[in-house]
Amino acid sequence: MITCEEFFAEFADYMENQVSPEIRKELNLHLSQCRACQVLYDTSLKTVKIVTESGSFELPHSVSDPIIDCVMAKLRKDRS
Amino acid sequence: MSFLGEVRLKDKFGPFVAFQAGLGFVPNLVLAQTLLPRLIEAQAMLESAVRLREGAIPRVQKERILLIVEAERQDTYCVALDSKILSSLGLLDVHIDGLLADYQNAGLSGSELACLEFCLKLSRDAPSVCSEDIAALRACGIGDESIFEAVLVTALAVYRCTLSVGLCPEPDFAPRKIPSMRVDQRHGPAPRSLLSGSAEAARRNGPYVPAPYLSPKTFSPFDIVQKSHGFIPNFFRAQSLRPDLLEAELEAVGRILLPEEALTRVQKESILLAVSAANLNSYCVAMHCNLLRGLGMPSEEGDQIAVDYHEANLSVADKALLDFAVKLGTRGREFSRRDVVKLQALGFTEEQILECVVVTALNNFANTLQMGLGIEPDFAPPPVFEENKVHLADAVATPIGREGGVYRGDAIHDLDAELVAQAQDGKLEAFEELVRRHTQLIYRTLMAMLGKPPDAQDALQDTLLNAFKHIGGFQGRSKFSTWLVSIARNTALQRLRARKDVESLDEPEREEEGDFRPRQVRSWADNPEQLHSKSEIQQLVEAGILGLPAKYRVVVVLRDIEQLSTDEVARQLGLSVPAVKTRLLRGRLMLREWLSPHFTASTKGAVK
Repeated sequence: MITCEEFFAEFADYMENQVSPEIRKELNLHLSQCRACQVLYDTSLKTVKIVTESGSFELPHSVSDPIIDCVMAKLRKDRS
Repeated sequence: MSFLGEVRLKDKFGPFVAFQAGLGFVPNLVLAQTLLPRLIEAQAMLESAVRLREGAIPRVQKERILLIVEAERQDTYCVALDSKILSSLGLLDVHIDGLLADYQNAGLSGSELACLEFCLKLSRDAPSVCSEDIAALRACGIGDESIFEAVLVTALAVYRCTLSVGLCPEPDFAPRKIPSMRVDQRHGPAPRSLLSGSAEAARRNGPYVPAPYLSPKTFSPFDIVQKSHGFIPNFFRAQSLRPDLLEAELEAVGRILLPEEALTRVQKESILLAVSAANLNSYCVAMHCNLLRGLGMPSEEGDQIAVDYHEANLSVADKALLDFAVKLGTRGREFSRRDVVKLQALGFTEEQILECVVVTALNNFANTLQMGLGIEPDFAPPPVFEENKVHLADAVATPIGREGGVYRGDAIHDLDAELVAQAQDGKLEAFEELVRRHTQLIYRTLMAMLGKPPDAQDALQDTLLNAFKHIGGFQGRSKFSTWLVSIARNTALQRLRARKDVESLDEPEREEEGDFRPRQVRSWADNPEQLHSKSEIQQLVEAGILGLPAKYRVVVVLRDIEQLSTDEVARQLGLSVPAVKTRLLRGRLMLREWLSPHFTASTKGAVK
């Protein structure tokens, strides 16, 4: 069976579902028998889900609209 | 007669000894490369591993594959040489003539004939090879190792033929007659599949032969690839069935591509990209676009080489170099001494021209291998390349050794295209609509880089003004949104420089750069997002992201919040895909450490 270090070397591609069937089989086998890597995998997936669904750094229309309006006004003024 | 000069090397030169031992003499094809002895070492490694080493296919059968593939390509030099080698292995001249005249009725077994037909198809029309062809071989009782070796031997034949056309060595032996029947086959329609009527159903579903897991810890060549590329491309993983062959191939590739004594790495990668594009090999196109990006070439330039290098921002000499390589790699029959003289007139040395020939041969070797083994892509090819419908699965096949395709850099399909055209005509309403579509993307990029909302808002305004100022120069080679992000990125960089607070976004990853191995090993609650309110989670995530080093922050924001694909992130930031993957993993793991105390199974209480 592969080691934790070897599992970690493939981890980025495993999370993105970009490993070949042969490698996936090896990684799944490791995962089924290694508690530490199970936790790493599960919590990393949860991290991505939380970050994705957090709506972070969204610029509210109340802020973006005045900025866009100001830019467009400047462009129209430059033209006239 | 040979196109390029030769120098005398010692008889004890290792590869010469190997050729003497394996073939009984040193072929002129090898002597024609004496200007750069490392290229001879590369060929000797490939020939010794693929052709001479004992494996699943008997040596005589490998020689028959080489002979028939070379005959079909009308390569009189290689046919004369390999006929002599077959003869030295005990085959009678009458049998060799019989093979050349009509291999289908030369008394070969059913399985050898099926294997030979497959090799011919791969050499003649590589993009049409599909999983049904492999299934047909298996049905004839041919095992995976034999299929694997047959692909490699075919790739070697293609390599040798490309060398012989490009170098034009003196014949070693009197030429043999190659029946004209083969010429007709070359011009005729190439069969789409070995199985009749299966053209429409042709599927790839690669990789075709199993690739057992090889660890970089135990297979040191993978460790070297991992360190040089940042990852192990599927191209190499798919060959793990035979680590001995893979090791020789990696050594040979290193000898040809890494030294910069003649051509530069960028020139060599550009050759590999342009010839792969002409061979319709989207796997290799994507790979070399990424490698060029890693060497500092802007992604749009790499994409342009794939689509039409004549329109790329290259010197006249470099375009001529690519003309030379593409002609040699795809239209060998038109190639002549005049092509060599043209490069010489532009100032290329004989060593550079020799290296261009060998790099082109290596490219055709790799293209053949990739299509023969059905190696799955590591990255998506450039969108423009796909939009022109030259993806291998859908392509109108233009095989190696035949007329190359023509690609023109039409604007890629972009939902913004119409509005962009109007904005370029000065229509402000169209520009405003474009801006509103992409405000969030621009703002998030700016926030990720600048880290402070007031700065990001000011920079948003500057970005929009800059975008309007330069929109006339946007040529549609990338998506409009990609172009906008590049403007935002430059605007943010100017601000960072002004406040003398530049955290390098471009510095490469370092091995020793912290241990990103997890420290938190406690499991999280089943539904961690239910432990806190939405606004608390948003605060936590934003604080965590702002605490990341800038180069990880930008990648995490674009990939996980803006949800662009890894390839799009790489394109937008001008990074290679492996660099994005490394930064993304590190950023995610750092965020995981940050979030862990708030989401473990026993976590209660509010966010501070």
